[in-house]
Amino acid sequence: MLKFLKQVSDYAKDSFQAAKYIGQGLAVTFDHMGRRPVTVQYPYEKLIPSERYRGRIHFEFDKCISCEVCVRVCPINLPVVDWEFNREQKKKKLNHYSIDFGVCIFCGNCVEYCPTNCLSMTEEYELSAYDRHELNYDNVALGRLPEKVTLDPMVQPMRELAYLPKGVTSPHDLPKGSQRAGRRPEEILEEIEAEKAKRETASAESEKN
Amino acid sequence: MGRVLVRNLHILSVDMESGIDLQGSVIQILGGFGIPAGLAKVIWMPVPMLLMLVAATVGVLVTVWLERKISAAAQQRVGPEFAGPLGTLQPVADGLKLLFKEDIIPTRADPWLFTIGPAIVVIPVFLSYLIVPFGQNLVITDLSIGAFLWIALSSITPIGLLMSGYSSNNKYALIGGLRAAAQSISYEIPLALSVLAIVLMSNSLSTIDIVNQQADYGILSWNLWRQPVGFIIFWVAALAETERLPFDLPEAEEELVAGYQTEYTGMKFALFYLGSYVNLVLSALLVSVFYLGGWSLPIPVETLTQWLGVSEFSPVVQVITGSLGITMVLLKTYLFVFLAVLLRWTTPRVRIDQLLNLGWKFLLPVSLANLLITAALKLAFPVAFGG
Repeated sequence: MLKFLKQVSDYAKDSFQAAKYIGQGLAVTFDHMGRRPVTVQYPYEKLIPSERYRGRIHFEFDKCISCEVCVRVCPINLPVVDWEFNREQKKKKLNHYSIDFGVCIFCGNCVEYCPTNCLSMTEEYELSAYDRHELNYDNVALGRLPEKVTLDPMVQPMRELAYLPKGVTSPHDLPKGSQRAGRRPEEILEEIEAEKAKRETASAESEKN
Repeated sequence: MGRVLVRNLHILSVDMESGIDLQGSVIQILGGFGIPAGLAKVIWMPVPMLLMLVAATVGVLVTVWLERKISAAAQQRVGPEFAGPLGTLQPVADGLKLLFKEDIIPTRADPWLFTIGPAIVVIPVFLSYLIVPFGQNLVITDLSIGAFLWIALSSITPIGLLMSGYSSNNKYALIGGLRAAAQSISYEIPLALSVLAIVLMSNSLSTIDIVNQQADYGILSWNLWRQPVGFIIFWVAALAETERLPFDLPEAEEELVAGYQTEYTGMKFALFYLGSYVNLVLSALLVSVFYLGGWSLPIPVETLTQWLGVSEFSPVVQVITGSLGITMVLLKTYLFVFLAVLLRWTTPRVRIDQLLNLGWKFLLPVSLANLLITAALKLAFPVAFGG
C-alpha cells in the first residue's frame, strides 16, 4: 500500500514538474513577443557589408604579371590565366583571365597571395543568374566595380549588428550620428598619438632636469 | 426531489429568460406585412445558419492572421505585412490562391474516397457550430443534448481523415490518417469525461444551461474554479483533437511530409486547412462556454444594472448586454487561440507512444477520477456543485 502511495505521489510530482517546465517555456515564448523584429526588408533595405566582406572578386588586368600564384593557392585551382611568352620583351603577356563564381568559395586565398595586389574582394553578393555559366566572369566582368548600397537611391542602407551602438539590435530608426560600440580605429590612433606626445614631453622634461 | 428542483429551475429560467429574441421579433415584423407565422419562421430559419457559417469563416480568417502574426512575434519576425493593412488580407490571398489551383487526383488513388474525405472532415466541424451560444437566444438551436451532439459529431472527423489517408495511395498519407484516427479516438474519451463532469454540475447537456449555471456570481461562479483539473484535461484533449502542436503527429512535417494532406491540392487542401482552423476556434469557443462562463461578464449583468440604476429589461440595455456578451465570448475564445499559438512555439512534438501513453495512462484515469470526485462533491455539497 505504502509503495503504491509513493508511486502515486512520485507520478503526481513528475506531472507537476512537467507542467512547471511547460509554464517556464511559455514564459520564454511570451517574453519574445515583446522584442522588436530585426528584419531587414531586403530589396528595399540592405545591410552595408563590413570592410572585411568577402564578396565577388575584383581583378585589375594591367597589374597582373601572370605569375599564376592565385591558381596555386586556390583550393580547386579555379582562376584561368591565359598568357603567352613575349620573346622580344622577355615577358609574359596576359591574354585572358577568368574566375567562375559558380564554383568559387570566396575563401580569399588568391587575394591574400597576389604579389601585385591585382585581386581584391568587393562587397558585391548579389550573384544570381538564370544560367550558371553566366557566373563565369572574364577579365572585363571582373574589372567592374560593384554598386555601393549607400549610393543606391532605391535602397535604404542599414548598418550591420557590429556597427550599431551598444545595446541596440535593430538598425531601424537610428538617431543621426550614433556610433558603434567600442572605439573606432581613428580614436585609438588619436589616443596613441596623445600618449606618445605626453611621454615625449615627459622625457624631455626629465632630460632638462 | 432532485427532478422537481430541476423542473423548478427550468421554469425559473423560462420566466427569467432575458436577452434579445431575434426570431420572435423578425416573425412579428414579417407578420406585420401579412405573412403567416409559419412562413415567417421558414424565411427566418436560414438566416442564423448562414450568419454562423459566415461568422465561422471570418473567425478562421482572423485566426489564420493571428496565428501568423503571433508566430512571427514569438520568433522576432514581422510576419505578413504587404497584403492589406498589417497583412490582414493575407488569409484571403491564401484562400484565393488555393481556389485557383489545379485539382489533382493521384493516378492510383481512389477518386471517390479522395474527394469525399475532406468534406467528411469539414462538415461535422461546421455542424458543431449549431450548439455554440453567443447569448441567451443567440444560438442556432438550443438542443437539450448540445454537448453530446458536439462529442458525437467530432468522432465523425477521424473517419474522414482515415478515408483521405487511405485513398491517397501514399504511405505517408496512410500513416498520417491512421495516426489521426488513433489520436482522435484516444483523446475523445478524456474529453467526453471532462465534459460529463460539467454536465453533472449543471444538470443539463444544453450549452445554454451550462452557461446559465455559471452566471450567478460573475467570475467566481465560472466552472474553471470548480473544475480546474477538468479544464486542463479538456484543453489538452481539445488540442489533440484539433491536431495542434504538441500533438500534430498526423501531419508531422519532418516524418510524414504532411500526413493525410500530402496528396491534396487546391480546394480539397483548403477544406482541410479551413477545417483545422474552424475546429480550433470551435474548441476555444467550447472551452470558454464550458469553463469560462460563455457570454457572462466577470461581474454579473444584474449587479451592473443595479449599480447603474437601469432596468435589465429595457431594450437599449438588452442590446448593450447582448453585444457585450458576444464580445466576451470572442475575447475568451481568442485568448485560448492565442494560448494555442503560444503553445505551438513552446512545446516540442510528442512521439506517438508518448501521445498514446498520455491519453490512455494519464488523462483517462485522471479525468475518470475527476468525474467521480465531482459526483461525490455534488452529493456532499449540493449548493456549490449544482445538486
